[in-house]
Amino acid sequence: MQPLISLRSLTKRYPGVTALEDLTLDLDAGIIGLVGSNGAGKSTLLKILLGLVVPTSGSAQVMGRDVLREGPDIRQFVGYMPEHDALPPDSSATDFVAHLAQVSGLPATSARERTAEVLRHVGLYEERYRLMGGYSTGMRQRVKLAQALVHDPRLLLLDEPTNGLDPAGREEMLDLVRRTGREFGIAVVVASHLLGEIERVCNFLVAIEGGRLLRADSLETFTRRTGVLAVDVDDGRDALVAALVAAGLQVRTDGHSVLIGLTDERPFDLVRDAAAELGLPLVRMEQRRHSLEDLFRDEVPAQ
Amino acid sequence: MTASRSSDAAQAAAPPPTASTAAAPPGAPRDGSPAGSIYDLGYRRYEGVRLGRRHAIRALYIYSLRGAFGIGRSGRAKIAPFGLAFLALLPALIAVGIAALTTQAGVGSRVESPIRYATYLAFSQTVLVLFCAAQAPELVGRDQRYTVLPLYFSRALRRSDYALAKLAALWTALALVFLAPEALIFAGRVLASNDVATALVDNLPAIPPILAVTVVTALVLGGISLSVASFTPRRAYATAAIVAAFVIPPIVAAIIAELSGGAFATVAALLDPTDLLDGANAWLFGGSAGNEVLTASSLPAQAYVPVLAAYVLVTIAATLRRYQRISA
Repeated sequence: MQPLISLRSLTKRYPGVTALEDLTLDLDAGIIGLVGSNGAGKSTLLKILLGLVVPTSGSAQVMGRDVLREGPDIRQFVGYMPEHDALPPDSSATDFVAHLAQVSGLPATSARERTAEVLRHVGLYEERYRLMGGYSTGMRQRVKLAQALVHDPRLLLLDEPTNGLDPAGREEMLDLVRRTGREFGIAVVVASHLLGEIERVCNFLVAIEGGRLLRADSLETFTRRTGVLAVDVDDGRDALVAALVAAGLQVRTDGHSVLIGLTDERPFDLVRDAAAELGLPLVRMEQRRHSLEDLFRDEVPAQ
Repeated sequence: MTASRSSDAAQAAAPPPTASTAAAPPGAPRDGSPAGSIYDLGYRRYEGVRLGRRHAIRALYIYSLRGAFGIGRSGRAKIAPFGLAFLALLPALIAVGIAALTTQAGVGSRVESPIRYATYLAFSQTVLVLFCAAQAPELVGRDQRYTVLPLYFSRALRRSDYALAKLAALWTALALVFLAPEALIFAGRVLASNDVATALVDNLPAIPPILAVTVVTALVLGGISLSVASFTPRRAYATAAIVAAFVIPPIVAAIIAELSGGAFATVAALLDPTDLLDGANAWLFGGSAGNEVLTASSLPAQAYVPVLAAYVLVTIAATLRRYQRISA
């Protein structure tokens, strides 16, 4: 089967800035997290996939078709939720989303029916008949998601979907994204600089930094590699390290902490035994939640 | 997994018909949830037809044409377009009223109304320019002001399609505003006459020039206005720029025609679309404009329409170029 998204030496340069540098990547359907700090090139990549931005060189294919040559055909099956505000305040959500559904190729009647369903799906009820100028940020984000879903896309591109939402709103939005991907079989690409959010929703991760591909892997592979056990002892840190290294573990120190790479349960017992043997007071022993940020800070013990 | 609607998971107790969805996720409220929380009442796959680019363009055209008259917007948005359309209609109403009165008084054939098919452009041109100044920024500036363009360009059309649909919408709106009073005069002349059949035959020859003038006027005024408006998201700037584009050239051309004449006057006339329209209107109705700017120039009357056509092509090209480059 051909990949959902296929990039070949994709490069985008703006005057003075390189947004994407020689990106080559094949992605299959799933919930794909596109992570990187602000300005890493995430938005540019999404826009290239939509044909909104023309790459300087290289090519991008979505569902086996070239995004520039066959843009309108592909985009009938792609939904896009932009990062920034994109709603005219002098329209109602119903009118506007129904209109956009038609611009995605749906007949007028279907457009209206689906608009009502999708707005309900994202949690907009009576307020959908009001002018959007009076909506809260949370409601506006919902409308933006609704317009991306209204034509039932095969691929959904979300740019910072939790932008501007309060914690409860974030939870709901993430839940909606997760279910859209898992239960309705829509492939999703979520761009975000918030790793904590991404890792709870996605099953595949693409990390880019400065326009370059850092890594693309399944979430499991990412987290396996970044599993870390942190141990704090009062004194005798070095003795503990020596004992653990002797036991065959990958160990690094970070201040008072001893960091141990985790691949199985064995290190827990070894730490306990070593501490008991050396008579060391164990202050803290904590399995760090597979923090993806380690990936960027490079404080992971090499394996 | 392509979970669509699994009927076995249909909790019959759930709300309306659409709610028979794939199993609701654990913890998601089924009903009675506070308004505004995101939860699933029934996303469904769409299995129907997708009509593609042509349908998308048509949808945008119709939406924009409605928007040009404020339809589908707040009540306030309708004031300017309908007010101006009424102003454009006013002289025709007066003309029809006069025609009815003179016919009744039995002097209809001896009184030539100043408001005729051929002179109507003179009455409505200012109103049409104001319509452009008010509504062209509405058509294109709004989408830039609120950064709606990414939502359009990520759908089943191309940037050029967007530009052409917007142009077509303004052209159509202008044609309607211009044609309505002409149609009213036509109807008035025919219906108010004592001999409807003869009046109809008398008035029919006016239809081709009316249509030709409508097309030329709408294309020129709409093209210039929309291309100007497309360059700024700011409504006030766009309105001011459009008014300036139609007010300044005639003044400059008139001054040059007065002072020098000759080659300068020809250039000035070429750069003055409103006087050219005046001339084209007269020429299409088989008369002469008696327009000072055009008389001072050495342009032959046959050249007016081709020059205006060049205007239209340039403004279309400028609009397309603008939307090819605008970032979205």
